[in-house]
Amino acid sequence: MATLCKHISITIAVLIFGVGFASEHLLAELRVSPIAVLLDSAESSQQLLVMGERDGREIDLTRSVSFQVQDKRIARVNSQGLIQPLVDGKTNLNIKWKDLQETVPIEVTGMQQSAAVSFRNEIVPILTKAGCNSGGCHGKAEGQNGFKLSVFGFDPLADHQAITMESRGRRLSPANPDRSLFYLKGSARLPHGGGQKIDPLSYRDKRLLRWISEGAQFDNGDEENSEIIGIEIEPKTHHLLAGEQQQIRVTAIDVSGKRRCVTTEAEFESNATSIADVDTLGLVTASDIPGEAAILVRYLGHVAVSRITLPRPDNKFKRPAENNFVDRLVWNKLEQLGIEPSSGVGDAEFMRRVYLDTIGTLPTVTEAKQFLADKSPKKRSRLIDQLLERPEYADFWTMAWLDILRADQLKISPQGAVAMQRWLHRHFEENRPFDRFARDLLTVQGNTSAEGPGSFYKILAKPDEAARSISQLLLGVRIECAQCHHHPSERWSQADYVGLAGFFTGLKLKKLPNGEQAVVSLVGKDLPHPRSGELIAARALGAETADFSKALDRRRVLADWMTSSENPFFAKAISNRLWAHYFGRGLVEPIDDIRDTNPATNEPLMQALAAHMRDVRFDVKAFTRTLLNSRVYQLSSNANASNETDVQNFSHAAYKAMPAEVLLDAICHSAGVGEKFNGWPEGYRAIQIWDNRMPSYFFRIFGRPVRATVCECERSNEPSIAQALHLLNSPAIAEKIAHRKGRARQLSDSELSTRELISELYLATLSRYPTDKEETLMSQAFAADGSDRQAACEDVLWALLNSKEFVFNH
Amino acid sequence: MFHFKLGQKQRNCDGVSRRHALRLGACGLISGLTLPRLLELEIKAAAPQAAKAKSCIFLFLEGGPPHQDMWDPKPNAPEEIRGPFQQIATNVPGTFVTDQLPLCAKIADKYTIVRSHSHRDNAHSTGYHYVMTGRKASFRDGDNPVPNNEFYPSIGSVVARERGPRGALPAYINLPHPMAGGGPGFYGAEYAPFVIEADPTQPDFEVKDLSPAGSLPQKRQNIRKKLLAGIDEIERQRNRGQAKTMSTYYEKAFNLMTSPAAKKAFDINSEPDEVRDKYGRTQLGQCALLARRLVEGGCRFVGVDAPGWDVHFNCFPSLQTDLIPYADRAFSALVTDLEQRGLLDETLVVMMGEMGRTPRINAQAGRDHWSMAQTIIFAGGGTKPGQVIGATDKHAAAPTTEPIGVSDLLRTISSLMGINADKTYFGPLGRPIPIVDGGKVIRDLV
Repeated sequence: MATLCKHISITIAVLIFGVGFASEHLLAELRVSPIAVLLDSAESSQQLLVMGERDGREIDLTRSVSFQVQDKRIARVNSQGLIQPLVDGKTNLNIKWKDLQETVPIEVTGMQQSAAVSFRNEIVPILTKAGCNSGGCHGKAEGQNGFKLSVFGFDPLADHQAITMESRGRRLSPANPDRSLFYLKGSARLPHGGGQKIDPLSYRDKRLLRWISEGAQFDNGDEENSEIIGIEIEPKTHHLLAGEQQQIRVTAIDVSGKRRCVTTEAEFESNATSIADVDTLGLVTASDIPGEAAILVRYLGHVAVSRITLPRPDNKFKRPAENNFVDRLVWNKLEQLGIEPSSGVGDAEFMRRVYLDTIGTLPTVTEAKQFLADKSPKKRSRLIDQLLERPEYADFWTMAWLDILRADQLKISPQGAVAMQRWLHRHFEENRPFDRFARDLLTVQGNTSAEGPGSFYKILAKPDEAARSISQLLLGVRIECAQCHHHPSERWSQADYVGLAGFFTGLKLKKLPNGEQAVVSLVGKDLPHPRSGELIAARALGAETADFSKALDRRRVLADWMTSSENPFFAKAISNRLWAHYFGRGLVEPIDDIRDTNPATNEPLMQALAAHMRDVRFDVKAFTRTLLNSRVYQLSSNANASNETDVQNFSHAAYKAMPAEVLLDAICHSAGVGEKFNGWPEGYRAIQIWDNRMPSYFFRIFGRPVRATVCECERSNEPSIAQALHLLNSPAIAEKIAHRKGRARQLSDSELSTRELISELYLATLSRYPTDKEETLMSQAFAADGSDRQAACEDVLWALLNSKEFVFNH
Repeated sequence: MFHFKLGQKQRNCDGVSRRHALRLGACGLISGLTLPRLLELEIKAAAPQAAKAKSCIFLFLEGGPPHQDMWDPKPNAPEEIRGPFQQIATNVPGTFVTDQLPLCAKIADKYTIVRSHSHRDNAHSTGYHYVMTGRKASFRDGDNPVPNNEFYPSIGSVVARERGPRGALPAYINLPHPMAGGGPGFYGAEYAPFVIEADPTQPDFEVKDLSPAGSLPQKRQNIRKKLLAGIDEIERQRNRGQAKTMSTYYEKAFNLMTSPAAKKAFDINSEPDEVRDKYGRTQLGQCALLARRLVEGGCRFVGVDAPGWDVHFNCFPSLQTDLIPYADRAFSALVTDLEQRGLLDETLVVMMGEMGRTPRINAQAGRDHWSMAQTIIFAGGGTKPGQVIGATDKHAAAPTTEPIGVSDLLRTISSLMGINADKTYFGPLGRPIPIVDGGKVIRDLV
């Protein structure tokens, strides 16, 4: 079916008189597309879009207008604006909205003799949309009840075989098409374990039957011209207000340029359903949370995105001052969305946040007092500079990277974990640039017990495991899906997957005479495609075939590609990772799932950060300094009425769960009593422990990661009852609170007044002075006669350790 | 001789003590705060069936109980297969068990024996993972982190998520230590088991962290409560946003601490001596008793881990003196007790291990791992009692009837609990993960 897709606009005289028409007289025209409809087969359909304008904004009227087909025998139209053919002929569709009118000619052909149904182009989408080939059903690796399809239909040839030939061809009955199992089961005319997936007598049902009747052809004999080369969606971007809706239309385009409306056959998925959700018909519904959602549209392996923006109108946006480009770009976005940022954060909250974020450590009471007393306007940036040079910076970031580099000592041996820990520590201590980090990780050779990241490859011995982990870790691209099937929401195919794995085929682990292992690099080889068996030349993601003529170690070529200034992923991935750490949420989320169909919530900012990362030559500290000195980082975590529901635009600071190790250190610090770790010298802090298998109830319930994946998401953030109970009642923490060398005892033994004691305890836990109200509250613990000051100090300390303000980084 | 004493550290043949391995984070693979999309669910199939069971007690005989020495006797097999135990009749005509199960034999009309369970994972930690998650482990056996189900949720976590708590008690509890395969996987810490890490046979048994440490005088407890309430009040006024989540958990924790129902449920010492004796003063017996109390208190899924069944060496003395009699007593007492209290209909009891044991007695007079055949015992919760379902061959080596796999088991439990086993959640990579992958409800059982 071919349609003309240019818009027509008919301007209606604007009524400017009469108060009664307040809202509608702004609507000047109906814009209907397409302007003419041609339906050329029995199962074809055409989605109309009827747009109008109100208050200068485009709005979708498709479901508000009334439709009428002049000759009801020729075609019918439903309330969603979908036109379906009935018999060959010509007629008109009248579209009415209030006093605006429009007419669209409809032509129906091919009802008697449609072009043959092509399995590849017309049946596979049905199987996909009905969920037949989904991962939970026949699409899973072993199929379902003996019938297996390729997941999302990525391998139509195999699917065609499965349907037409497997099980001795019993799934189809060419002689009696309507007795075919394949036809009867999906529509549940015969009992079907998966239930009714295809409505009887729907266009899908009819097309299946016609396909079988025509001999169940893979192609319709016109494969040269009929291959679908792309999809087009409308609208590509759109603004919606709370509660509004927008219909999306999907058009497939084949090699010959022929266009066919496939809205009913495409799949739709929102990446932020709390902002805007989409149903199976492609109708987007906006919630009342401002922000952006990307609606992913998938059809026959082609993907496209419609970006839906939900601004909050009528908000007077007062643009705050800017410290750097981060502020400019975040304010731009907030202005566009009509979200007012929170006010700037107070000194104390800023201090606690920046300490925990950069060095995983609370400020001491003295440090806190000094900072709060400092009158210099530059004290914040000075503090940032100081923290980045603290030794704990290296400890904290070493811990974070040990997690995602999967330094599980049980799997890579304690020696391997220590080797990696030392390498990381030196890396962060010397602030080596991140491109060097990547290069070192990629090209490491030699003994895995020697300082270096070699033990990373102990758990990634297979080339494809190494490839997909490196891809997720350093490029932010999850290519794992493409191991078994074409990536459902990206362009990556199985060939891309094995192409990337080809860089790691020279990698071997060699046993050394002393029992240790060494990473050695031999000549690599290309790997076969998992389905066709054809050798796929090694190539990086989206890059040309790799040239190994100048390098013996294939990994070097990959490292060159990755760290080159043109690489589209590398700088973005590390920028997004660091941003997510400091702001509690990535610009792209999940942080290691960067793809065109999962856009950043603030694309200009994402681009600018990646450019900045390259400008500072991957100097992570310099980059961090830019983030921390921005006003955005220094916003309060208290939301206002306008930004309360905002989750993705950084209008206020996030509440972040502290990693288990940081929380334990914070408790020790506040109570003034360190933790003695079994087998470790006195004075070691939790963030310094490389041994991820050290038994600890605390770490277990607070979610220390098992280092089983390269995903940062492994660190559990959710609170549990066991956590709350442990903080409230555990003997281990009670012992610290009441310890004879602990803070409570020291304070109660001092000469300080009740007021001063309370202040000290607030500074030690929450890094701030108490308010008057809090002072009054806490002084209730102290008896009037000053007896049992120690108990009172313990009780106040206990209460503070159990406050949300303490447990969270905010 | 290799003889087990309960209450001691238990070692399996992989050489790692289970108790010793309690060291890894109750980790979800996803972080719910940042990946809201992944938490969204998609209902794929028909609406869930009406629930027959409100709660489930899952008695896990860890190590692999010998099915032929307990539930599936083969009196006509040669001695090196049959073993030293005799078969006895039960109170259901035609149903026989070994003479090691005299108490259970008297009440065979109250449960159903499924003899045809069979799967292909012949190791402990991977088998545990398989049985509790329905998915083959991706790690090698011998890696013993607890929980070992880093990705897939256990059936306990599924029940916790789908059915939620029925009162102040957590929805999902493990006794008397975490179950290795019992973690929440990618469902996250919210659906992790609440673990009562204490031995209910001990006089000083108490639930960890449930009441204030040490002997804090009531006056100070009151002060602390007042201070915390004051802080909470101030925080509430100041904050909007995420801290609310933690508040909910504090509330739940406080409810647990202060709820009379919870307190009562945990107070096993208030049980009359004769009841405690009836269950047996063994870890399994007292855990079974505590499980009944927890179910009465509203817990949805109690997983009891009873280790010590990995009997490779000289197995018959320990089977005869400790293992089987303890299980015989605990199971029969639990089922009878539930029935007397009118709770059996709404409480599903399942007893099994990760595998059965080899038909032939080995050179060390023990039996080795044998996942090809195992017997599972079901009682209550809407199951039809008094039956034997399935059969094994003459050596109890493999089912001769349609084998009942792990997915069948989990689908049956889900279905009895009123859970739609086809419901699907998105895993961290965005892949749809159904609660149970395939499987059929065990025919004739329901």
